[in-house]
Formats: sequence, C-alpha cells, structure tokens
Amino acid sequence: MAQASSFKQISDVSWEIPTSYKAGMNVPAKIYATRKLLEGMDSGVIEQVTNVACLPGIVRQAYAMADAHWGYGFPIGGVAAFDLEKGVISPGGIGFDINCGMRLIRTNLRYPEVKPKIKELVDLIFRLVPAGVGVKGFLKVSEPQFDEIMKYGVKWCAENGQAWEDDPSHVEEGGYIKGADPTKVSRQARSRGIDQLGTLGSGNHYLEIQVVDPSRHFDSSLAKHFGIVDEDQVTVMVHCGSRGFGHQIGSDYLRVFDGAMKKYGLEVRDRELACAPFSSKEGKDYYGAMVCAANMAFTNRQIIVQRVREAFSKVFHKDAESLDMHLIYDVCHNVAKVENHSYGGARSDVLVHRKGATRSFGPGHADIPAPYRAVGQPVIIGGSMETGSYLLVGTSKAMEETFGSTAHGSGRTMSRTAAKREVRGAELQKKMLDRGIYVKAATMDGLAEEAGMAYKDISEVVETMDRAGISKKVVALRPVGNIKG
Amino acid sequence: MTFRYLPDVALADIAFEAESDTIGGMFESCALAITDIMVNPLTLRARSSREFAFGPADLDRLLYDFLTELIIAKDVDSLLFKEFSVQVDTKGGTLKASAKGEPIDRERHELRNDVKAVTMHMFGVKNVGGKWKATVVLDI
Repeated sequence: MAQASSFKQISDVSWEIPTSYKAGMNVPAKIYATRKLLEGMDSGVIEQVTNVACLPGIVRQAYAMADAHWGYGFPIGGVAAFDLEKGVISPGGIGFDINCGMRLIRTNLRYPEVKPKIKELVDLIFRLVPAGVGVKGFLKVSEPQFDEIMKYGVKWCAENGQAWEDDPSHVEEGGYIKGADPTKVSRQARSRGIDQLGTLGSGNHYLEIQVVDPSRHFDSSLAKHFGIVDEDQVTVMVHCGSRGFGHQIGSDYLRVFDGAMKKYGLEVRDRELACAPFSSKEGKDYYGAMVCAANMAFTNRQIIVQRVREAFSKVFHKDAESLDMHLIYDVCHNVAKVENHSYGGARSDVLVHRKGATRSFGPGHADIPAPYRAVGQPVIIGGSMETGSYLLVGTSKAMEETFGSTAHGSGRTMSRTAAKREVRGAELQKKMLDRGIYVKAATMDGLAEEAGMAYKDISEVVETMDRAGISKKVVALRPVGNIKG
Repeated sequence: MTFRYLPDVALADIAFEAESDTIGGMFESCALAITDIMVNPLTLRARSSREFAFGPADLDRLLYDFLTELIIAKDVDSLLFKEFSVQVDTKGGTLKASAKGEPIDRERHELRNDVKAVTMHMFGVKNVGGKWKATVVLDI
C-alpha cells in the first residue's frame, strides 16, 4: 500500500511525487486521491506512475487519478502527455482494449413506466446484443466496408443507416479520430474484428438500464443541458470497446515495440512499458492501427445503441425518436490522441495517453458539441453493476492541470478468483433482483467476478475528482437492469 | 503436466504458472490453462483438429504466438480446444502442434471468460532444475 507521508501534499485531494523520488524521472508525478484512497492504492500504482514519469519526451507531469490501480506498464487511471518530436507512444499507455469507453443515451421514460417491463426489455436486449466468449455480431460488413469503418467510425454509421443524424457530433472526436491507416492492421486483427460489430464482449463490460437517482441530483441546471429533466428519468449506459480487433492490434504491436526498443536504444523499467518514438516508423504505424481500433470501438457502441433503440421501440410500441433516445455522449477511456493544450506558458500539440482515464474538456472548447459547449463536455464514469454510475462535466481546471482528463470508474480491489469464492453468480443475481436490479449474464461465473464488493467505492472516486475540480458531478445513475458480458 | 492459477498477480485479469518435465508438455499445459479459463473443458468434445507451426523464434516468442493463435481461433472460427500435442525443437526454435476441439455451442458448453490477449507481464519460459516452467498473465 502507498504511504502518504512519502509524498508532498498539494491539497486534501492531490499529492506530488518529486523527480528526486526515483532516478530517471523526467517530470514529477501527481496523484489525485483523498488520504484514504491514496493509502488504499496498491504500491504498484506508485511504482508505475513514476516509471511513466521516466519515459522520454513526457511533459509537465505523469498523472494517476483517484481510481488508479495496477495495470500493464501504465497504471489504469493513468494520464501522460508527450512532445510529438521528442516523445514516445506506448501501447501500455492505452491498453489492449483500445477505445474501451462509455456511452450514455437518454429516454423520456420515467421509472414507473419501465419497471413493469424491465424483464422483457433486458431479455430482448440480451438477445439483440451478443455477449460472452467468442460471440459474433448481427451486422455483416464486407472487407472494404470494414476499411471505411476503421477510417470513419460513426460517420460511416450515419451514412449507412446505422446512426441518427446528431449521433456523430455527440461522440468524442465527432465519431472518428483522424489518422487511421488500415494498411497497418494485420490480417489476424481484421479476421478477429470483422464479425464482432455490435457485440458487448465480457470481463467488466456491460449494458445497463439506469434511473436518475433523485437523492443524488447534484446540478439540475447542468443536467437539463444534457437532456436529463426528470428525477426518475431512464437512461441506458454501454461500456465496451474494440473487442478482438483492438486486442489483436495491441498484441501485434507489443511484439513490434519489443524489437523497436533495441533499435532506438530505449530502456524502460517494465517490459509492458515498451514504446517507440512517436515520430518513428513503428510509432506512426501503431498510431495508424490504434486509431483504426478506436474508430471500430465507436462503431461497435453505435451498433449496440441501434439495437437498444430497436428493443425499447418494440417493448414500448413507440418509435425510438418518440422515446427521445438521443445520445447524451460517448467518451473513450483507453486511447492516445494528438490534442492541442496549453502548458509551460505556450500552446502546443501533444500526444495524450489516457489509460482508464476520461477526457474532461471544459466549457468553450471547440471539440465539444454546440449544445454543450457553454457548459463543458459530458464525462461518463461507470461503477460496478451494483453501485451505479455518474454523469459529470469537464472543467477549465482540468484543461489547466491534467490535459483535460479525469478518472474513468471505480477499479477492482479483489481478484476474480477471490470474488467467486465470496459469492455465487446465481445467489448474486437473486440478491440484486431483491434490490430492484434485474441482471442477465452470459455466464454465472462472470457475474460473480463482477460483484460490487470486488470494486472500490465509486462515490469516493467521483467525490475526489469533483473536489479536485477536474470534473464536476451532475447526476448519479442507479442500475435497474443490467446485461453482463 | 500441470498448471496453477496465481490469483494475486493481476486483480482484474487471470495469471497462471505451468510446468512439465518436457518443453512440449509445458506448452500443452499453457494451452490447457487457456481452455480452462474460457470453458469448462469437461463440456468440450475433441471433434475436429487444427495444426499449428511457428518459428524460427526464441521460446518466449513461440509461446506468445501459440497462445495468441488459440485466442484468435476462438474469435475467428469460434473454436475451443481440449487436447493438445506440441513438439518444440529448442535448437531450431520451431514449434509444431495439433489441437483437437470443437466450435462453440452455447447450449452445451459451460463458457467462462473471454480472453482478450496474452500480456508481457511476468511472461517467460525457463528451465529450473530440469523442469520447464512458464508464467502467463492474460488480459480478460
């Protein structure tokens, strides 16, 4: 566990680790946490965030958010920005599940209308959105179409009847990141990904029907900007990523970077921190392939949402437009992107890695869709399937302090094996039903592994980020129906 | 030929250690561990077979590529395997393997975790006192 006394306390929710902490640190590390969260963090987070601070070309600080926990190379809940010329790109700073992210849609339904139909609704969505080991999606695309998806993501969906007109503008980067290069994607990655559009996957991925929690409605004025107008309004949240496509690109380039390290004379403290200069051939190739996976992930969540709209329409005998099932927002939490930020007294393009961290752009930023621009970017933070999730908003302080980044979720505190020892899936399913949460899971083991007790307290994570001022709470969302991959 | 899980290595994922008196047996143990993570092997049948060949490469790379290929077979062809026969030529750095299994049947198979990838964390093959050992951490 981390020892708070070893670090410089900046505020009641932030700590700095100076460059003198470890030989080779190019910048200090900063951790956002209450003393309790900090002392509860595994020591791997401190080791990893200070390893990241040693990477070539890192600028300003290496960050660990309040939900930080040990990951491969970078901690999960980690943020680091790099100079485009002198800096590196690292698959370990993104994760295997490239553009794993969160998507939130609203409805104009209130919980009393949905409650009697929750089983019918969840059962239908479970059939329409395949989840679990080795599943394939219903959307079949040709190889040339898959190339277009890699390049244009949700824009492709909008042009091919798989999105509403205003969907792309409500996705980070307008639904696709520029710079995709499908020629840098392996045959195996293509084969793994082409049949997986519209699938949820497994692990901690989920699709949840939620209700705005009246007791945790923090800012109703902001909520209205995002189309949340009722206290028991129903929303739907989707958490998943680029499936086997992104996983294979991660695996492919981990091998490439293992060799590139020697070529460029780079030494890192952990094999999973393998990296290459962003300006090198290997760095550019990985970026081009990684962006393909990010755009596939946007598309995957889009196709899933189309099926969710279809399910609501069938169950409530109204078209999805009449149910006002608009996208509130879609954000990545495993990605690296070139963004323009102010630091050191000037503005500059930097490569921002966010691994288990969410973009949190403040009011006025041109990349925020026009209806939200005056208030800031919606930030979606997912909790465990038992404890619920949060909608927050990005802030100017995040732009000043963290390259516009905040936390992403709650983070595990218990291994999968230990969780299964503590609770059986069927027993958990029944307990959740007793508490008003109807769950359908691809496997009972998978359900037990994702029990709420295996995760940190999300409220404390969200509260910390709110107090730090790098994202502000809007509403809490309570689960009433859950599909677990 | 055995494997054991290491539950404290990666909280969000699954780690295991495999060992055998022979290098081929150790590769087979790793493959069986991956199967055990994805499905209850007792519910699988050995109805069809697939051949694999890799190399030349070092032993770490051969194991990484072999295990990754099993994950790819699960996603691309919906195939899970329960029996493995692996021959490794340590001098030439090559691997030949055959695996027997069947396509995923959601009614009959007791499915478990969907494996995303083999990670490099703690990854490696070593010979300790005449026994071959490997540590593998899978991203789930």
